[in-house]
Parts: sequence; C-alpha cells; structure tokens
Amino acid sequence: MAQAGAIVLAGGKSSRMGSPKAALEWHGSTLLRRVTGIVARSVDGPVVVVSAAGQALPALDGEVEVVADEREGRGPLQGLAAGLAAIGDRVDVAYVSSTDVPLLHPVFVRRVVGALEDTVDVVLPEIGGFRQPLSAAYRIDLLSTVEELIAADRMRPAFLFERSRVLHMSEDDLLEDVALARLDPALASVSNLNERADYERAHALPAPEIPVEMFGPLATRSGTRRQIVPAWSLGAAAAGVHVALDEHVVAALNGDKITRDPELPLVSGDTVAFMVADAGG
Amino acid sequence: MPPGGYFGKALLVDLSAGSSRSESIEESVLRSYVGGVGLGAWLMHSYCPARIDPVDPRAPLMFVFSPMVGTPLTTSAKFAVVAKSPLTGRLTDALASSHFAIAGKLTGHDAIVLRGACREPSVVVIDRDSVRTEPAPDLWGLPAAQAEARLRDRHGPAWRVAAIGPAGERGVRYATISHDGRHAGRGGLGAVMGSKWCKAILVRAGTKVGSADPAGVLAAARELRKRSFGAATAKYRELGTMANLLAFNAISTLPTRNFSAARFEGAPALGAEEIADLRHLARNSCASCSIGCEHIYRGPGGTQARMEYENVFALGPLCGVSDADAVIAASSRCDELGLDTISTGGTIAWAMECVEKGLIDAPWLRFGNPEALLRAIEQIGAREGLGRLLALGTRAASQEVGRGSEAFAPHVKGLELPGYEPRTLQAMALGLAVNARGADHNRSGAYEADLSGAHDRLMGGEAHVAGAIETENRAAVMDSLILCKFLRGVFAEGGRDPLAEWARLLKLVTGWDVDADELATTARRIVLAKRLFNLREGWTREEDWLPDRFLSESLKLESGRTATLTATRLEAMISAYYRERGLDEAGVPDPETVGKLSLHGLMGSEQIGAKVG
Repeated sequence: MAQAGAIVLAGGKSSRMGSPKAALEWHGSTLLRRVTGIVARSVDGPVVVVSAAGQALPALDGEVEVVADEREGRGPLQGLAAGLAAIGDRVDVAYVSSTDVPLLHPVFVRRVVGALEDTVDVVLPEIGGFRQPLSAAYRIDLLSTVEELIAADRMRPAFLFERSRVLHMSEDDLLEDVALARLDPALASVSNLNERADYERAHALPAPEIPVEMFGPLATRSGTRRQIVPAWSLGAAAAGVHVALDEHVVAALNGDKITRDPELPLVSGDTVAFMVADAGG
Repeated sequence: MPPGGYFGKALLVDLSAGSSRSESIEESVLRSYVGGVGLGAWLMHSYCPARIDPVDPRAPLMFVFSPMVGTPLTTSAKFAVVAKSPLTGRLTDALASSHFAIAGKLTGHDAIVLRGACREPSVVVIDRDSVRTEPAPDLWGLPAAQAEARLRDRHGPAWRVAAIGPAGERGVRYATISHDGRHAGRGGLGAVMGSKWCKAILVRAGTKVGSADPAGVLAAARELRKRSFGAATAKYRELGTMANLLAFNAISTLPTRNFSAARFEGAPALGAEEIADLRHLARNSCASCSIGCEHIYRGPGGTQARMEYENVFALGPLCGVSDADAVIAASSRCDELGLDTISTGGTIAWAMECVEKGLIDAPWLRFGNPEALLRAIEQIGAREGLGRLLALGTRAASQEVGRGSEAFAPHVKGLELPGYEPRTLQAMALGLAVNARGADHNRSGAYEADLSGAHDRLMGGEAHVAGAIETENRAAVMDSLILCKFLRGVFAEGGRDPLAEWARLLKLVTGWDVDADELATTARRIVLAKRLFNLREGWTREEDWLPDRFLSESLKLESGRTATLTATRLEAMISAYYRERGLDEAGVPDPETVGKLSLHGLMGSEQIGAKVG
C-alpha cells in the first residue's frame, strides 16, 4: 500500500442539522474529534482537516493539521482540492471523509485505501445504491485534474470520476475483507448524519464493548485484571474501570499506541490496556 | 577543606605490594563529575593503564561513592563499582545499594581503588586508612552471602562486606559482586575481583561526613521521603519491577526465545499479578530507602529469591521457560553462584537457539525446558562442559561457534540485552546501541520516552533521538549523585524539572551554587567521559550498533502493525545522536564539544594512564 494520509472535510453548512456538525457533542468528545481520531488510527500519514474560512473548530489532537478553504460553499471538490494541496507532497493517497460519520471504523478505511492499486486513481465504495465520494480513497496525483474541473466550474464529483480510473467497490466487495465483515458488517462506517433525528438516533446507540486489561498496581487494586466496558473513548474506558488517566497512568490501544488522551476514539474490536506510567526497571 | 558531602580523596590500594595511600581529588574534579559513575569514569581515565587486559592484576577495580551517601536523603545509600569489563573490554559501572555504601564512604574516602592482586584467596580489610589483606582459603568457593555472613561473624556486625561467589572466582565474564543480598551485576565486575584473588572487601565506618547545610538537607530529606510514598513509586512498592512483565507482554516488548518474538504465551504463569498471592513472601528495602521495591518470592524446596523483572524476563521468557518454580530457582542459583541474571539468561537463550539450529551439540538444551535452564546455570558457574563456552558471554561464544550465530547473539559491545525489545521501542534501540556500557537499561532509560506516548515507538526518528539523549542525561546525573532511579517519577511529577530538583539537593549537601543548567552540562560531560574512555581502549563506531537479528527480522503486533527497525533508520538515529552530542561522524567529540565540556584532560594519548604506578 502506498503511503496514505487522510482528509476530513469540515466546512459544510450543516443547514439541515441546524448547528455545525463538526462541533456536535459525541459522548464527551465531538464528531470532528472522533472522525479525525479514527482516520488518524487508520493511515500512516498526516491527517488534514479542511475547514471553511473563519470556521471555529472544536479542539483536535495536536498532530491534526487544519487548512482553511478560502472559497467555501463550492462543494466537496473544492474541499478536496484544498486537502490534496495541503497533504500532497507527503503521501501518495488520501482517504477522504466527511465529518458526520461517527460510526466510521478503521478497518473500513484500511479496506478502501488498501484497494488502491497502481492502475487505480479512486477507490469508490457504492453502498445502498449510492456512491460514497466522501468515504473514498483518492490518488494525490488527481489534484491537477480537480483544479482543472474547478476552473471549468464542473464542481460535481461525478466529473472527476469521468476523468479518473475508478475502482467501484460494492458492499460484497468491501465485505470480502474478513475483519471488516466481522467488525462493521452493516457498513455503518458510511452512515452520515444529515438531520437532528439522524444525530439523535446515532447518539443513542450503545457504545462499543471494549475489553480492558489492567496491569501492575492497577490490577491488584481493582481486584480484577480484565473487564469489558462500553466506551466510545479512552476516557470512558478508564472511567468504566475506575482508573484516573493522570500522569501516573498510560494506556496501550490494541497493544500498540501508547497514550493517555481521553478523547481517543474507540471502536468495536479494540482492546485497551492500562498500566502505570513508570514502566521499566 | 573539601566541600560538604566529600572527603576529597581516594584510597589507592596495591594488593600486590600490600600497601595503600590516599590521594587527594581536586574540588574541580568533584564538581565536574560529582560521584558514582561520573567520578568513576574520571578515575578510570586517571588510574587505568590504557589497553590493559581487564583481568590483568594492574587493572583497577573501583568502589566509588557519592556526595549523597551518608545523608538522610532517601535511596542515597548507593555506590558504583567501576572497572574495565572482561565481558565488553569497555568501561563498566554497576550500581548497588546497601550499608556497604555508607560504611565504605565513612572509611573517609570518596573512592576505594584496588589494584594489583593478592597472592592467594584473601579478603581486604579497610578500616579508615588502614588496609590489610587476610588469607581466606576457607571462604573460596562459598556463595557471596555465606562468605559475607562468616566474615561478619568473624569481624563483628559493624563491618560491611562486598563479596564474590564461585562464578567470580572462576572468571565467568558476567560474574557479580554482592552485599546485603544486592548485586553490582553487569559487566563482570566479580571476575575482575576474582582475578585479584579477592573474595571480599570489608569496610567499617570510622568517621563522619558533613553537609554544607545540615538543617536544609534534613528538611529536604523529610520532604523527599514524604513524596516517595506517593503514586510515582506505587508500582515498586506494591509489586516491584515484576509488574513490567505482563504489561510488556501486552505491548509486544517482552523479549522471548532469544528475541525471536516479543510476546510470550507463558507470561501469565510468571506475572506478579497472577502469582503474588501464592508465592509472595515479603517486601524489603535497601539501606536508607523508603520505597521498598524488593519483593521476595517462595520457590521450590523452601528456596527464596528476590524477584525483579530483569531476572524473570531473562530466565523465563527469553529462555521460553514459564515454570515459576524453575525461574525462581534459577534466579536464586544465579545469586548463589554470583552470576548476572541478564547475561546468564541471554547467553543460555542464545545457546538454546544454537542447539535448535544445529550449531551446538547439546540436545538437552531446549527452549522451554526448565531442567535444561538449571543445568546450564550449574555448568556456567562451574565452567564445566558447555559452561566453559557460555561463561564467555554471547559475543565471544558466538565468535567461537561462528556459522551465523553472531547474528542472533543478543549483545551490544559484548553486554547482553536487557528486557526491552528494540524493534518495538525504537528510542531504546538507539539507547542500547550507543551507550558506553553496552546494551543497558540503567544508563540509558530511553524506554521511558517510548512508553510515554510522546512519539510512535515503532517509527524511530528525531523525537526518539531527543528522548534517548534526555533520559541518558538524566541517568548520568542520578547515577552520579547517586539517587535511585525508582525515584525519578517523584522528581518529575507535577511538571517539576528534575535537574532543578537535583541541583537543589546537591547545593544543600555541598554548598556549591549549582543549578539545573550546570547539571545539564555535567550530564553531557559524564556521558562523553565514558565514551572517551572507550575510545582510548579501541572503540570504533561499528560498536554502536545492534545485532543483525533486530535489523533483519520484523515483529507483528496485536494491532496488525509490523515493527521493523532497518539498518538505515538505526544509522540515521545514531548520526543524529552524534550531532546532538557534539560528536563527529566517527563518534569522537569535536573540539568545540571538548572545550564546552572541559574534556581536554581526557583527550589524547599523553594523558592516558597518567597516574598509573
């Protein structure tokens, strides 16, 4: 797989939602924080948020970059161009996402990005009979084509697909991936939230069940080493096992990333280990 | 008049001539190198003849104290044992904690330097400036603890003893020096002592040492003691370093089967969280310590052993052994024989892989076989059978076996790796590669940076270099003051600057107007003083490297990611480390660095061994 980054388009008007989607609360975090956190977990390159000029964004992880789209309101191609330009010299491919997909799963992102072979410019999922241009992977080389389309005022993604080598991925194609079929069988990764009712339904869903393991004094004090707790974020997982995420504690996500970021998004299939920060002898 | 905390002199003992004398150490040297490993490095430049065989009688063995010893500051009863290592041929400095530190310093010296050799198995008795040797054939062959007990029975309880076990007598290159059940473990210092026919050194406090501000020191000691009971030391109090084992297993940093894997399926059977209820017997403290990290476990047949992460990792997962009885018994036996558990486990694990690959003909020595582990330890301690080869350590043994076995011999500069997988801890990979002592987790605590979450531990780069340097600098200061590293979290919690904290303590003891900036410079000086000693002894850049296995084999994590450390990445980190340290591409301090750190006296052959004789 080529070096991949991610672009999250945050500058939409959110007119049907009634308030900016990026800042919508999501179980102690925000939609944008969650989506940027999930794509950051899914790609090995940078994550860029494209905002509208002057748009106030909620707090983000320090490594997430933000670029302002000076020509807002011209649709996703405009945002795509701004994102590709910002990220382009560092990666070969970018996963592009909207802000309003809180059920996005890292295995979905990896499945889409991983399908981008040398002969393909765009990996475009088609789910429920709809193309998903904001849950798709784009080769960075497309920037010049996108700019040409914008200059010609051809602002619909369909115009880009006409001029690109597109790999269409059906639901069956996507679910050939065993991990995706296990962790997101309904492909809720692309379920976006347009209206308040969508948001409220999604927000009411039960949190992923996260196996949490504790080590050292954290285990002996709690009287148990393993618990399963519902948690949308690392902070919720810590609260679920009564661990304070202070300077004396760190967590390992899936035996890999070391963190104590309480807003780190969790998804089904994750495991969390809490251990004392004074690791070592 | 020496500054507070010091006597301003070293005791030089010539065992061959049966003579001794004190030699003053200038205050400028004390301030520049502080004590412990720092002062030890300076003393080695001064008193160790260049390019000498580490077990040549003329090679020095040094017991180096520090300004904090004798103060009420918690964890300060520590000392450094310093010599040229028979395992690495480079500088080695092992720290230990015990009443020996206090009694040794209160002989009235900041360091005791043994040179020459006794004519027969002997003990060295130091009572202030009076030094004598006593024949001790009855002690030769005894475990260090038994020799220590007999000597204290014979001489009286005021005497403190550092002794070697049978492995040191027989020249096992990773033999230890022991006292109060603690060990100066790494680098074969016991073999150096054994080469001098010295079974033990006895010291007795005969004087006092003052502080510049006794009331201030007392107040600081009370405050530090109180802070030492907090969350930053909870792990050590409650479970000890054994708490690392299962946590490291969960994050793929637990070296397993000679570093062929980083997760061990048998780890739960060895984890403190799992076995403490059944096996934990007691918790002890070193002298002058309020943490109490020693956790004593019950083994088979009424045996007991102080269990720490490093001995469990090395004698358990590294050898594929998950039998807790066997690991406790092996650890206990290493203590009796006087063997460094890390090098013992590393060497046996390497030999097990050699057997698996048909490179050594010892079909009994298989990964996961507890009886084989114990049998190999006996052979090493006795230097019999396969033990003759394994007593050399993995570097020399792999050179003898050849046929590709060097690629998976787990050492840097000849010192076996501790329990930190470098592919999944890539700041630590750098720290292990460049440290003067060899593959070492005490002089380079770069794993702290990896496990802080501040960078991606699988993708070594600039942040990892900075982390490795910062932790190496902090270790240089703590190991010279000397204060226990288990306090390091106490000095850093709440956003404190540890260097400022240490400078405050040093100022109270010595009266020097020292600040954090000066200690930062001191740290850099000490790190490079050790490097310069190695340079003098023939070190080249090729020694700052990791075994091929780590650069050619990847590891898969639970997350699905692959941990790969390429030679190119390691090379880049080493070059960046050199630049940050003010070294040229060959790893030699450049003139500007030499000037800034006042290292002129340690550069160049004209200074080499200037005080020898």
